[in-house]
Amino acid sequence: MSIPTDLAAVAPSPAEGLDRRPETHRRLRRKLVAIAGGPNCGKSTLFNKLTGLRQKVANYPGVTVEKKAGFCTLTRGSTVEVLDLPGTYSLRPGSPDEVVVRDVLLGVQADTPLPDLTLLVLDATCLERQLYLCMQLIEIGRPVVVALNMMDTAEEEGIHVDAALLERAFGAPVVPISGRTGSGLRELREAMEQEVGPPRPVTRALAAPLREAAETVAGMLPTAGPLAGLSRFHVAMALLLDEGENDSLMRAVPHAVRREVLALRSRLDAEVPEWRSHEPIGHYRAIEDLIRRATLRVKPEDSMRQRIDRVLTHRVFGPVIFIAFMAVIFQSLFMWATPLMNAIDFGVSALGRFIGPALPAGPIRSLVVDGAIAGVGAVVTFVPQIAFLFLFISLMEDSGYLARAAFIMDRLMRSVGLSGRAFIPLLSSFACAIPGIMATRTIDNRRDRLTTILIAPFMSCSARLPVYALLIGAFIPNRSVLGFLNLPGLVLFCLYVLGILAAVVVAWALKRTALRGARPLYVMELPPYRVPSLRSVLLTVRDRAGLFVQKAGTVILAVSIVLWFLASYPKNAEVKPLEKELRKVEQTASEAQARGQRAEAAAGRAQAVHLENEIAGVSLRDSFAGRAGRLIEPAIAPLGFDWKIGIALLSSFAAREVMVSTMATVYNLGDADQTSVSLREKLRHAEDPRTGERSYSPLMAVSLMVFFVLACQCMSTVAVVRRETNSWGWPIFMVVMMNALAWIASFAVFQGGRMLGLG
Amino acid sequence: MTPRGTACKKTRTLAELAPGARAVVRKVSGEPELLRRLMELGFVPGTQITLVRRAPMGDPIELRLRGTHFSIRTSEADRIDVDPD
Repeated sequence: MSIPTDLAAVAPSPAEGLDRRPETHRRLRRKLVAIAGGPNCGKSTLFNKLTGLRQKVANYPGVTVEKKAGFCTLTRGSTVEVLDLPGTYSLRPGSPDEVVVRDVLLGVQADTPLPDLTLLVLDATCLERQLYLCMQLIEIGRPVVVALNMMDTAEEEGIHVDAALLERAFGAPVVPISGRTGSGLRELREAMEQEVGPPRPVTRALAAPLREAAETVAGMLPTAGPLAGLSRFHVAMALLLDEGENDSLMRAVPHAVRREVLALRSRLDAEVPEWRSHEPIGHYRAIEDLIRRATLRVKPEDSMRQRIDRVLTHRVFGPVIFIAFMAVIFQSLFMWATPLMNAIDFGVSALGRFIGPALPAGPIRSLVVDGAIAGVGAVVTFVPQIAFLFLFISLMEDSGYLARAAFIMDRLMRSVGLSGRAFIPLLSSFACAIPGIMATRTIDNRRDRLTTILIAPFMSCSARLPVYALLIGAFIPNRSVLGFLNLPGLVLFCLYVLGILAAVVVAWALKRTALRGARPLYVMELPPYRVPSLRSVLLTVRDRAGLFVQKAGTVILAVSIVLWFLASYPKNAEVKPLEKELRKVEQTASEAQARGQRAEAAAGRAQAVHLENEIAGVSLRDSFAGRAGRLIEPAIAPLGFDWKIGIALLSSFAAREVMVSTMATVYNLGDADQTSVSLREKLRHAEDPRTGERSYSPLMAVSLMVFFVLACQCMSTVAVVRRETNSWGWPIFMVVMMNALAWIASFAVFQGGRMLGLG
Repeated sequence: MTPRGTACKKTRTLAELAPGARAVVRKVSGEPELLRRLMELGFVPGTQITLVRRAPMGDPIELRLRGTHFSIRTSEADRIDVDPD
């Protein structure tokens, strides 16, 4: 095995280099530490502990793999940049996530320099399974520090791990830590600060055909360039085994090497068909030996896990518990969040009342109070529900129950041609289809992944919650059903079920038409049960709620203001005299107030409200938005929607939650300095000026909610699907398919309901 | 060894094991990509595997190997030949 130990001999000396600036730049930049590890090893918890709140999330260029980076201050005060890599079992890539891990660790990732140090996180409670990645990582020949995580849990479970022996075997520092309690973190920071030399690869047998091929390729590798600082043998193994033909690694080597690699692969395929197994077989022999020497199990495997699993994955109790758990989540989601929502609603109204009078009546006051405050306020109100939903999702994930849910659901998911793995992206889509669709990256099979992407938007996301909450709150009476359920909660539950059913039907249809094909490999780890860390759960909740608010703060505010403009302009000629009159009435009212004539002041204010509503009505009828809404009214009238809903539907293509702020803007115009009537009341009591009847009925509300369950009304979803599928065909297909389905379903609900006399 | 005992030692696939049964991997077959993924997860010849349980609908199955629990479909478990332990 030829592993260069004298790196200085192959690295170009700065004095010889023609371009010295990059070299200087490299010296000046902060040390980069990449955190690698398998799934469920506690990598992210450790990353959070090391970086605290100093972290940022972005994407790697060209792919949608999340790049989490942060800064960590070490013991002696120096700061290093820390990169949290996606969890992986092996450095041989099978998914875009794994390609990124390999590319970063081999220094061929476009925007990321070769890490100065790799921090490998190993879960001491199940070491054997993770040593595979460890062996490959050490073989790269770059400095490694091993964090032996969950050492306290391992001791409790009766597993002794000899860290000193592992340290000797790897030739790399091994630091026992506990990400949960934070013990050992000081020692870990110290180890990260020291100059760590390249580790010593663990001796292992490698069958001759693969070894000889790797040696041939290693001998051809150039001594300078991107891969020069790494073990040439490892680079050769990666080239041979990674299956790439024109990927980032293959492009990093000269053409002659690429040709040789392809030739060797086909020769090995012909002569030794099982050559790809040589690496795993060799590694596992060495791992078994290492495990025998370095670990000792003094107690049998945890029987607690067995007892819990016996119930949670029981043939009858398992699915029952799962469904009950889901129902409870959505019931409590609605009820627990309500007091908080009311409090925020009250705060936002108070803000409008406080700021409004300080501004002159007219366009500016209208812009600030009705455009900005009302728009953003209507969205912020729903943060509690989003926070609750993510609280449950991350509790399930961190406790280990999410994997059991996938285990239980797999057979069912397979009946629509998907795997239990699709369950997690789909479950995430209940919060937002964007992270959900991005989470499909873990699905190796392209057809499975596409199907999951296309059905993910049917899951009722948190952006639909504001819409559901508004309509349920306004039109569904708070009655109890069967004694223990309440009607609003039950309706909400049914909306979620409808989305799931639509997804099942569409997936089933897709798998039988456009996306037919062989089933992929499905293997999923069932991690041990753990008590979730409160800090990590709350961090997830904060991140997700933060992302939503960020979106609300930028896109929603911008859309609210644009919509305020579209709903306010062009100004109708009738508005001018009305506004003049309004100012006069307000003036009189405040003078009366100053003189202490309360009755007259109150009468003046009431007249002002009336005038404001009239102004709003007149402006809206003739505004750009009103015209657009009326233009589509004939198409949506059979669904029970009027042109005002039409405006809301059009504007919600920016993002579904915009529907709420649109309705707020549409109905609140000129009605913010005395917000006595909430949006719900407005909707309930809205009248059709042509007939004098109520514009909206509970049946219309149901039809509208069904429309929102099924329609693709989210610009961001379309954009992310475009990016994930790398085509415009799929997102266009998705928009057409979903909206056609939504129209048909709403038509059936509204017309069917009317026939049954429910209108 | 009785002839019946010899018959019991005959190679079976992982999918045919009963819950609680232990076996040793003898051979894994399949397309190269699938083979590689299974091997990387530790399904190499000579590995001891316990079938822990079947999912409520009979499929997938939960396996224990090398101190880790995995869930795997019976269609894939069928490609792993085992000798009863």
